Order: sequence, then structure tokens, then C-alpha cells
Amino acid sequence: MKFEVMRDRLLEALNDVMKAVSSKTTVAILTGIKIEAKKEGIYLTGSDADITIQTFIPVEEDGEQIVQLTQTGSIVLQARFFNEIVRKLPTNDVLIEVKNGYQTDVRSGKSEFHLIGQDANDYPLLPQMEEDQSFTMPAELVKSIIRETVFAVSTSESRPVLTGVNWQIRDGELMCVATDSHRLARRSTKLENAPADEYNAVIPGKSLNELNKILEDNSEPVEIVLTSQQILFKAGNVLFYSRLLEGNYPDTSRLIPSEHKTLVVVNGRALHQAIDRASLLAREERNNVVRFTTQGQNAVEISSNSPEIGKVEEQVLAEQIEGEELVISFSAKYMMDALKAIEGHDVQIQFTGVMRPFILKSVHDDAILQLILPVRTY
Amino acid sequence: MSERGRILFHLDMNSFFASVEQAHDPSLKGKPVAVAGNPKERKGIIITCSYEARAYGVYTTMPVWEAKRKCPSLLFVTPTFERYRIASQAMFAILREYSDLVEPVSIDEGYVDVTSVVNGADAIDLAKTIQSRILRELDLPCSIGIAPNKFLAKMASGMKKPMGITVLRKRDVAHVLWPLDVEKMHGVGEKTANKLREHSIHTIGDLGRMTEKQASEVLGQHGEKLWRRAHGIDSRPVDPESVYERKSVGNSKTLSFDETSKPALLQHIEQLSGKVASRLKEKGYVGYGVHVQIRYHDWQNRSKSRTFKEPIYRQSDIEKHAKKLFLELWNLEPVRLVGVTVQQLKEPGEITEQLTFDSYQQVAKEEPVRNLVEELQKKYGKSSIQKGIRIRSKGSSSSFSKDFLNDHNKEE
Repeated sequence: MKFEVMRDRLLEALNDVMKAVSSKTTVAILTGIKIEAKKEGIYLTGSDADITIQTFIPVEEDGEQIVQLTQTGSIVLQARFFNEIVRKLPTNDVLIEVKNGYQTDVRSGKSEFHLIGQDANDYPLLPQMEEDQSFTMPAELVKSIIRETVFAVSTSESRPVLTGVNWQIRDGELMCVATDSHRLARRSTKLENAPADEYNAVIPGKSLNELNKILEDNSEPVEIVLTSQQILFKAGNVLFYSRLLEGNYPDTSRLIPSEHKTLVVVNGRALHQAIDRASLLAREERNNVVRFTTQGQNAVEISSNSPEIGKVEEQVLAEQIEGEELVISFSAKYMMDALKAIEGHDVQIQFTGVMRPFILKSVHDDAILQLILPVRTY
Repeated sequence: MSERGRILFHLDMNSFFASVEQAHDPSLKGKPVAVAGNPKERKGIIITCSYEARAYGVYTTMPVWEAKRKCPSLLFVTPTFERYRIASQAMFAILREYSDLVEPVSIDEGYVDVTSVVNGADAIDLAKTIQSRILRELDLPCSIGIAPNKFLAKMASGMKKPMGITVLRKRDVAHVLWPLDVEKMHGVGEKTANKLREHSIHTIGDLGRMTEKQASEVLGQHGEKLWRRAHGIDSRPVDPESVYERKSVGNSKTLSFDETSKPALLQHIEQLSGKVASRLKEKGYVGYGVHVQIRYHDWQNRSKSRTFKEPIYRQSDIEKHAKKLFLELWNLEPVRLVGVTVQQLKEPGEITEQLTFDSYQQVAKEEPVRNLVEELQKKYGKSSIQKGIRIRSKGSSSSFSKDFLNDHNKEE
């Protein structure tokens, strides 16, 4: 294997692939990155067994030559060292050559590294994907779906299936749900080219967080390929594979109240800021609780009280308050997460009782629904 | 308040339970008396004994059969806790006549801050007055330590028993305390002593001669605290309120034989969890930690605890966590004693519980009651009605020595 490549293109591809490489892996070869030089270009692959990322650097792009291929071939190099080396090479031209078995030379300017590589045949193959079940979405939409749900996954391994986001396709609609059993985030999206069959899978939250970092905020299409074990996202020159979580995701539809006793419409950003301020006095995890009190028809009071530190009260104007008066306590963090996901100005909050879940959604559409369980105070 | 300026008493009743029994029944006076739970059972141990019994080599925690062998004339008395409670209250009432700053530590000991009551020279006279009043009015002996802080006062009261009065000044520390075994130091238990011995620290002086940093490397924060105490430094105030700051509620059970059966042990854990839950309920507390203790057949003590984000007070939660901790801790050796404790208690009002999708329906059932309570409180004032969790229920079994502190609450 021998080729020359522009350093900035190699680095860009490496950056994406490194997101899958973990130093904690139990499979030794996965601490490496697989490099394959083929006629059409260079493929880089990184994996931690759960996530596998492959990037491609074409020989030529828009009439510009990026790779000069002398000899095809493949090698596995230690990810951490190779990445650091490429980052610090002195010029933008990099020559990579495998000689005498697995010895790999990396040259740039007057700098020359001799690395000991490993046999690329020992590196696991990419998951096999039948491509009949697939659909596409713009990258920016995939990113916002991730942002609006993934924060609500559970961080505790006690119910592993809750550490993922449930993706369900039915009747031309993609429904994404995440819950840690204290709050729930749900986002529905109409698909323009939905697959024919129904689909139901749980994607690890960690995979979605990494995918979100790799995808660019643009309207380029992302093709999403579904199987029962894996999900594949194809975006430009990147292939992102994720293992799916095993186990049945609980049916969450019954948790969502269908009626309410108190309805509050409020500017989401103003409420977010007030809660952020109130939580200044309630930073400790255990006491990160604020109280929400309706005041007549057009104001709510946000307050917090820490016995050792002090207390805070703030009034937020409401556009509308209907139904019963209400005093309810909840986690400041959960509320801020939910308001951030909805993003808009006009947020509708539907309460059904001080010890029952309440709903947040935009006044303008039902695509995003956030559900939060209150905090009980004694 | 400067360290030098303070004058603190530590008062320690001498073999309290036995002395109360001797005061109650004068025919026991001058004789070897032991208070023991149930002298007939194998597991019976000496709770406390009179000085006459101690002369025969009988000591607290000694098994009954062994005590009988050491002292065949030993008279056994079963404990009458109500008697001890009344005597304790009378003793603290006398202390409160001299200062408002009285901090009960347990049923038979407490600190008194007399800084603003006497000047230095008169402190010994005041101690003598208190000691002779307790002897004359209650017929009970005690020892008093006089020092500028709690640690030194506690060490001083232990130096002369019975009926001692000992003054311990900071300048006495090096020649009085430093020659003592480090285990004699208040705050050093068996485990800490073992750890210190591994580092060749055998006397309080060995500890004092280290640097504070070295002490901290061996024992962490606790090491720093002990190091300062070895130098006679202790700034803890005498806090009359500390009696109300209950830190844990726990129950333990000595088994009638050394148990090895897992189902049987788990059943004991269940029972203990139930007792702890009902005591918590009676006091209206919840905790954030669960602690499990095992004493093996060879008196090896092991314990394990865990902290939770959500408050622990339901029997089912205590049971679940205690069983899990027990199974993680138990090495399958025969077990003599098991204990379950809920720690990190919080007052109602400071407590919050994040509801979950699994639990909220159960909790929501209470909503109508809660609404009613709030309505009544609005109408008739806060104290007119309270939620059931704070109402005292009768007949819950409670650990006497831990609950006596409630007496100080009732007096208010």
C-alpha cells in the first residue's frame, strides 16, 4: 500500500472516525484504525463494537486531485498515535507506505515516522446491511430530532433499554421517544419516503450523540438503513453504523394524559431564564427543585428555597392561564431541558395535578411533546 | 469564642444502669451487680455492672456465663429502662439549673458549657457542687472532666472513676495524653486503631508527633481531626440543639444461634426493615442512606452503606436496599447479629422526591387528602392538622437508648 494524501482531508476524515474509537475496548484490534487504499480512494474505519464509522477520501473531487495512489492495500494503525501524528505533521502533503509486512512509513516534509501496523484482515468486517428498508431525511432534521429527544435517555444501566431512544415508523410517521422514567421527550416527524414496513428499534443514546457531532447542519440528505440488529446512517462520505439495544421498549403512549385541569401558555425563553435564575440557589442535585405557582389569569411565580443559602422569587407573565389554581414543584433541570427542546416562544403547559405528569408543547404544532413528572415535597 | 476562654464540663454517670438499680434497691449496695438482658439465654451479655463487680474482672459485653464464672456471687438484674430514663432526665434537669448550654450525648453523659457561669478558679467548686447534688438527690455517682474543649473534657472525665473530678488543660496534653494508647483516644475505634498501628502509631503521642499532612495521608479528613485533637485542639461548640438532629434510625438483632441460612437471614433483614420504617414514620423523618451491619460468629464486624438520590422511608425500599447490601456484604460465614440503619435523615420540609412513571400513581392517590389538609390549614392555621406521616403512632418498637433523646424534645 502506498499513497499520498492532503493532510487536512486526512485529518477531517480521521476526526470523524476517531469518534467511534474507545481506549476502553476489550478487543485489542479496535484500538486501531483500518486504512484501505483502493482505486477509487482511501477508506478509514474505526469502531468500538457498538458504533462503527467509515469515512471515504475520494481520489478526485470537483476536478481536484486529493489522493495520489501508487499501490492499493490495507493496514491497521494505532488510532491514538496515528491521529496525533497526522495532527502535527509539518506540511500538507502526507505519504503513507507499508513495507516489509506491517511496517508503515508516514512521511511529511522532512519528518518520517516508522509505525508498526497490524494485519487489516484481523479487523472486523462492517456489519452486513440489506438495503431494502431505508428512507432519507435532511441532515439538519436528523440533528434536531436527536437534540429534541436524546437528553431524556436514562444514564442508569438498571434498565438498559431506557439508555436508548425508541424509533418507531408507522403510517408514514417517525416517532422518537426517550425517557429516564422521570421525564419523557417525544418527537414525531412526517416522512416523505417512508419505508413500506413498520419499524421499531432502540438506538443507544451515546450513538445518537456521536452522530449529532459528525453530521453537519445543512440540508444534505442522510440515508437511513434499517435492520433488526443495526441502523446505518449514510451522509456524504461517512457511513455511521450503530448496534441497536435489545429488549422491548415500554409502551409510553398510555403515560401521556389526555385531559388537563390547568393550562398555562407562556413565553418559553422567559420561563427558561427565570428557572435558570431560581435554580442558582438549588444547585445541589438533591435540591434542584423549583416551585411554580399560578397567580391569577396572567402570571406565574417561580420560586426556590434552600434552607442554608436563601430564597428567590420571580414573576413571569403568562399569555394565558385557564382552569384550577396550581402550586407544583419540579426539577429545574428537567424543565429547562424540555423548554430548550421546544425552543419556541409560545409554550403550552398542561397540568393534571401536583403529583401527576404534565405536558409541554409548542402552541403552534404537536410535533414535539415533553412530559415531566413533578417532585413531591413534604 | 476563643478556644482558651472556654470552660466545658463533660459529665459521665458511673456505671449508670447498675447505679440506678442500687439506688432503687439499697440492698444491692456494696455488692457486685450486673445488668443483663436475659441472663438465662446463651446470647445474654452484661450491659453494665457495678464497680464491685468490676473488681472481679466482669466488664460490659462479657457473656453472662463467663461473668458467673469470674464472680459466682454476682447479682443479676434485668434492665428497667423507664427507671433509667427518669434518672437521666433528673440528672440533665440539675445540669440545666447551672447553664443553658447543656448538650446530652447519650442517656448517661453530656457536655455543659459553663464559660459564662464561673471564672476559671471556681470551676472546680461548681463541679463539686454538681457532683454532690447528683449524689445526694439522686443517689448516683458521676465523674466530671473540666477542660477548654469537648475532646479534652471527655478524656478528663474518663481519667478518674467513680466520683472523679479531673482538670485537663491544653498544656497537660503532652505529658498526660501522649503516653496513652492511641485506642484510648475518643474518636479512635478498633478499625482506626488497626490502621494507625499499621503505620507504627501506638500512642496518642505517636500521632501528635506526625505532621498534620502525614495524619491526613493515613486517615484522610478523620486523620486531620484526630491530629488536632492529639494537640488538644477541638473547636466544636456545646450545642443544646444537636440532640434534635437525629442522624440515623437503626435496629439490630442478635440471633439466638449463629445463622447460615440465606432465607432466614433475609427474613431478619425484612423484620428489621419493618421496624426501622415504623420508627421513621413515627418521627416523620426520611433518609438518604441505607446501612447494613453484620457481626460474624467470631465477633468480626462488617458493614456497608449506600447513598440514594431519592428519600428512603417506605418499608419496601428499605428492605430492597438492605437485602441487596446484605447479599453484597455477606461472606457466607455464620452470622451472630444483623442490623439495618437508615442514615442521612432530613427533617420534613427539606424533603423532596422526584416522582417516576412507575411510582406516581401510588402517590397521586394521596392527592385528595393532601388538598383537604391544605384547605384546613389555610382555614384554621398550620397546626390544626398535619399529614399522617408526622403523627405519632403507638406501639412501634423502638430502640431505647437511641430514642431517649426524644425526652428532651418533649420538655419543650
